[in-house]
Amino acid sequence: MSNIINIKKGLDLPVEGAAALRITDARHIATYAMKPTDYVGLVPRLLVAEGDAVAAGDALFCNKEDERIRFTAPVSGHVKAVVRGEKRRLLAVVVEKDESAARPAQLSGDLKEQMLQCGLWTMLRQRPFGCVPNPNVKPKAIVISCFDSAPLAPDYDFALQGREDDLCHGLEALASLTDGTLYACFRPGQRMARSVEQLSKSSKKDIQVRYFNGPHPAGNVGTQIAALCPINKGEVVWTMNPQDVAVLGHLVTTGEYRPEKVIAVAGPQIKNPHYYRIIAGAAVESIAKSQTLNPDYPQMVEAQPMQGSRLISGNILSGTTIAADSFIGGYDSLLSILPEGDYYDFMGWLMPGLQKFSFSRTFWTGFVPKWLHCIYPEMPQCLTPKFDTNTHGAWRPLVVTGSFERVFPFDIYPMQLIKACIIGDIELQENLGIYEVEPEDFALCEFIDTSKTEIQPVIRQALEILRKEAL
Amino acid sequence: MQMNNLRNFFDKIKPTFSEGGKLSWLGSTFEGFESFAFSPNTVTKSGSHVRDGVDLKRTMITVVIALMPALLFGMWNIGYQTSLHAENWPYELGTAASWWYCLLFGFVRMLPMIAVSYIVGLGIEFTFAQIRHHDIYEGFLVTGIIIPMIVPVTTPLWQLALAVAFAVIIGKEVFGGTGMNFLNPALVARAFLFFSYPTHMSGDQVWIAAKMNPFSTDALTGATTMGELSTGINPSASALDMIIGTVPGCTCETSVIAIALGAIMLLVSGIASWRIMLSVFIGGGLMGGLFNIIGANAYMQLPFYYHFIMGGFAFGAVFMATDPVTSAQTNCGKWVYGLLIGAFAVLLRVLNPAYPEGMMLSILLMNCFAPLIDHCVVSRNIKMRQRRAKLNQGKEVQA
Repeated sequence: MSNIINIKKGLDLPVEGAAALRITDARHIATYAMKPTDYVGLVPRLLVAEGDAVAAGDALFCNKEDERIRFTAPVSGHVKAVVRGEKRRLLAVVVEKDESAARPAQLSGDLKEQMLQCGLWTMLRQRPFGCVPNPNVKPKAIVISCFDSAPLAPDYDFALQGREDDLCHGLEALASLTDGTLYACFRPGQRMARSVEQLSKSSKKDIQVRYFNGPHPAGNVGTQIAALCPINKGEVVWTMNPQDVAVLGHLVTTGEYRPEKVIAVAGPQIKNPHYYRIIAGAAVESIAKSQTLNPDYPQMVEAQPMQGSRLISGNILSGTTIAADSFIGGYDSLLSILPEGDYYDFMGWLMPGLQKFSFSRTFWTGFVPKWLHCIYPEMPQCLTPKFDTNTHGAWRPLVVTGSFERVFPFDIYPMQLIKACIIGDIELQENLGIYEVEPEDFALCEFIDTSKTEIQPVIRQALEILRKEAL
Repeated sequence: MQMNNLRNFFDKIKPTFSEGGKLSWLGSTFEGFESFAFSPNTVTKSGSHVRDGVDLKRTMITVVIALMPALLFGMWNIGYQTSLHAENWPYELGTAASWWYCLLFGFVRMLPMIAVSYIVGLGIEFTFAQIRHHDIYEGFLVTGIIIPMIVPVTTPLWQLALAVAFAVIIGKEVFGGTGMNFLNPALVARAFLFFSYPTHMSGDQVWIAAKMNPFSTDALTGATTMGELSTGINPSASALDMIIGTVPGCTCETSVIAIALGAIMLLVSGIASWRIMLSVFIGGGLMGGLFNIIGANAYMQLPFYYHFIMGGFAFGAVFMATDPVTSAQTNCGKWVYGLLIGAFAVLLRVLNPAYPEGMMLSILLMNCFAPLIDHCVVSRNIKMRQRRAKLNQGKEVQA
């Protein structure tokens, strides 16, 4: 089997404003939060009260169904607030950093025990369902995607610069959690891949390196699992973000839980997008406020920071909208900032729309051939596609066929599966391969969809019903 | 500036039509007009925060634009055919039929048909949208223009109105409206006319309008190539005439060149499936070729490519078979679907003298079978998945 896998179906959105390779240290941020809403299907049990002193790695809340799964404070300090929403639903536990209270967390037991204790376990995600895995189950494989192909995605080579050893140790530790293979997936030519290649040769464990070529979603772990070890009913595959693997590597070598990561802050109208080194769960307010926005960007009413912009924890295709005073999501390494598009567009369906990006070639941007971009890498501004949150049309029934297949690199019929999810036919969903997908795998389908159907929520809903039935 | 005034006007009257307003029962209608003038200001809620520029309006208007060459040529050809066959063609305008007079003649004949089609069809669509409290869906934008393009020019307007109403209600709305129907509504309209008023839809006396008056159903004698063939006469038109389209036929289906222009537009924009388009021609060619080999009668001996340029084959392949709602939805299914349409169309033409034009019935037939084709294609995928699961279970047992 070849090491290089070519993904042909997919789409790279030409969004401007990717982060420049420069890091600002933002580890001084004062407030942090753990948000139960970041974790699929989690029913939390609160373990602390406002004002309690906590150390980094102390549990804030745990999973009600399995109390071994603990969600811990990323920093030492005291609990500043317990945020609740409707029906007293726990939304966030906010911790104010206070270095004086720091004391090293005492970890004991084997690797799994240690991960569970310090909360690193919750950084694992299982397929299907996308939830935190059950510690009693052994996965048939672990797949780590070491690159992100989403629009504006962070470059993990850069984010993990100097931490390659941590990554390797982390991978080796993870490999001991499965009887199957651990796959580390890279883009061809990625620098980090070299150290992992060496690891896979020297390690006694079954660690394999695979390379994925092609457009987004080549970097989605779902695409990689589908190509390497498709999930059948009853099987489980685990995944983890490479930055969290490095945190694990640090844990196994030093015994210290230090959930640091580098996040990209990017967006089309940001003037100097770049990276920030933060501690997981950091408040984004100071970062967001420090961005200067480009007043020339269309639909930007004024150059006031964050006026008319949307903060997204994660990428613009499948991330979560967060408020300006909120916190970066547990699994995310990207803070996207996108202009809101709540404007009326005069005869938008008829106008040339030179700046509207479309996959469908009913707009200029859709059929600009690739070679034209090679000859003129710098398209004039009036022809460069602009992105915002406008839906560009209202909801309609699903009419167009054959387009999803072009951005969906699975051996699955996307339209049929989506329809099976809409009508709630569980047997059909299983037959059509619902266990192999996560909502994010449908992000591009949702993007190109002519009918403006909200596909990702539909898939999540269907998966949640299946997950609850499987319990 | 005017744009802003229009926007302000909409904003001003919007509360009247919104829930709780006096005219809230006309909400869908208002929304239809508002979103016609302005793409809505709705923003994404979750999931994909950015969306593609295309929407159903854009898709449909692109198809309508792709139909324009065929429509314009069809209008001209209506006048041209009359000028060829009429004895009292207005000589005061010159001995030769000037092209613009032909076009004017055709325009006067076509415009009322298009108007009737849109008024009746959209009227029903608006009513249904209003009753169901949803937006006006754009499906009829295309259907409404196609129906007058695929009927004889002398079709009485009241028949057209009936056919449109039948197509929209029975062909589409009873199944839930746009996106839910299984038969192509435009072809349902044509089939309705074909079986209800056969004398107005076939023979020699329907294809050429005698008068510029749109309410006149007087026709001049002139048979289509297929009409001639089915009655055993050798075709009078040359292949070149049929490619250019200067032959009698349904209003806008005659010119292969104009249709090809539309096809290019549809293929470049990616709206129509090239798989279906290509496979219809392959299917027709194969069946035509088979008949060439058998060669039992004059019709069978007709070179197979004649089928592509006669009658509605090209128009059907480009604009009707490719309807995404009623065609097969899987890529593999699209090949089968297209091949069978082409094959059946030629089969019906050659072997069934009762129906000179096989394209309409062939597409409607395959519309019915499209879900079955898809079912077979999808089952294969399901079986593959079940096999894989079993294989893996076996492995685990061994281990």
